[in-house]
Amino acid sequence: MKELEIPTSPQEILSLAVRIITSRTFLEIVIFPGFLNVMLSAAFLTWLERKVIARVQLRIGPLYAGMWGILQPIADGVKLMFKEMIFPELADAKLLMLCALGLMLVAFAPAVAIPFGEGLVIANMDIGLIYVFAVISLFPSVILLIGWGSNSKYSLLGGLRSLFQQVAYEIPMWLSVLGIVMLTGTLNLTKIVEAQQKLWFVVPQVLGFAVFFTAVLAELERTPFDLPEAEPELVMGWMTELSGVAFMVGFLAMYTKLYLMSALITTLFLGGWSGPAFLPQPVWFLAKTFLIASLVVIIRGSFPRVRVDILLRSAWTRLLLVAFANVFVTAGLIWLGLGTIWSV
Amino acid sequence: MALDSWSLVTIFEIVVFLVTFPLLVFGWLMGAKGRNPIRDAPFESGQTRLGEARLRYMMQYYPYLIMFVVFDVVAMFLFTWGLAFATLPFSQDYVFLLFLAVLVAPLGYALYLSGRQESW
Repeated sequence: MKELEIPTSPQEILSLAVRIITSRTFLEIVIFPGFLNVMLSAAFLTWLERKVIARVQLRIGPLYAGMWGILQPIADGVKLMFKEMIFPELADAKLLMLCALGLMLVAFAPAVAIPFGEGLVIANMDIGLIYVFAVISLFPSVILLIGWGSNSKYSLLGGLRSLFQQVAYEIPMWLSVLGIVMLTGTLNLTKIVEAQQKLWFVVPQVLGFAVFFTAVLAELERTPFDLPEAEPELVMGWMTELSGVAFMVGFLAMYTKLYLMSALITTLFLGGWSGPAFLPQPVWFLAKTFLIASLVVIIRGSFPRVRVDILLRSAWTRLLLVAFANVFVTAGLIWLGLGTIWSV
Repeated sequence: MALDSWSLVTIFEIVVFLVTFPLLVFGWLMGAKGRNPIRDAPFESGQTRLGEARLRYMMQYYPYLIMFVVFDVVAMFLFTWGLAFATLPFSQDYVFLLFLAVLVAPLGYALYLSGRQESW
């Protein structure tokens, strides 16, 4: 920063602006691994979910907006932008707007640390894994604020359910990743991907993968754990009283979360960007990510919802114990001398 | 000019803010306005609203909450231990695994207690 001089003439300001806009860091933040990529992928996922669910239910799904209805998310967005924002009379409208904004900020934050290709990461953090988990655990508080602030019974119940579900499944989610940390000895997501060049972690960490995937379903409030917005009981859960753009932002934040959690599964267990060289690395990464996302959607199409007590008890009695078992299995692997396959 | 990780996170969040905030303001300005007691009532499946929604709810999962606090702290320490696992000798590794195995006993007891108090 020492050589940076304060520009004085218009030409200097212009050249500085051009230098900033064409710099790799700026392009990474705004376009590829950054904002535009996450936004467009989340919008694409709303279309993908409707199409896949339609296939599961022997329907066709969105059809008219663009080719195979691919422009449907844009049509929905424009429609919601011009809709009236109705807030209940006793609701805290300012708080709801702020929370919608906060939800978006929290939902996008993990994208900073996830590598989409070799060196294609906004911030190559040494504590990337902890950072991602820390950011994800901010979701329940924002969601509870939305539920409380909208002053509606459905919203409050949805917010409370969302809170205890996400909090309960955080522990198994963390502990299922411990095996990977033991094998690689690092929390840097780029190094974790590089350690999987020989063999993906889904093979030695199959127990961890199962626990992590289940916990991710619960964190995403997806079927079979979609109790916070169980349609027959709670209408739309904590999103009941959001409308117009606030609803659009909340909805987009949930799909952003789905996208980035799928990206996290890809990074941790499916070898990240690694794949045969005939396609570029980001293409492999996105292909694996959308595959995981469609798996989540297919599960939504085919499974019933679990009961609340079963949801909580299975987190503590089954998933936690399986995650512990995974730690013991990993320790055995390392003591047998097999850990060198994945050492960085 | 290399920026450190936290500045990059801050810049990224500012970009997200700069897109989302105008979007919300735009929706606020463009959407129709007007008050109507029926439209402003909270959604209760067509029923008339019965009182405030900020009621007191029973938290029947309190034992789970206590366990969460304990395991949250344990998980953090486990990560620091896991980082050093491959480099530590066996004599220092197995102690923590023994601790994990012992941890299962109070967990089982707490689950037994919470199972008895559960009345969903």
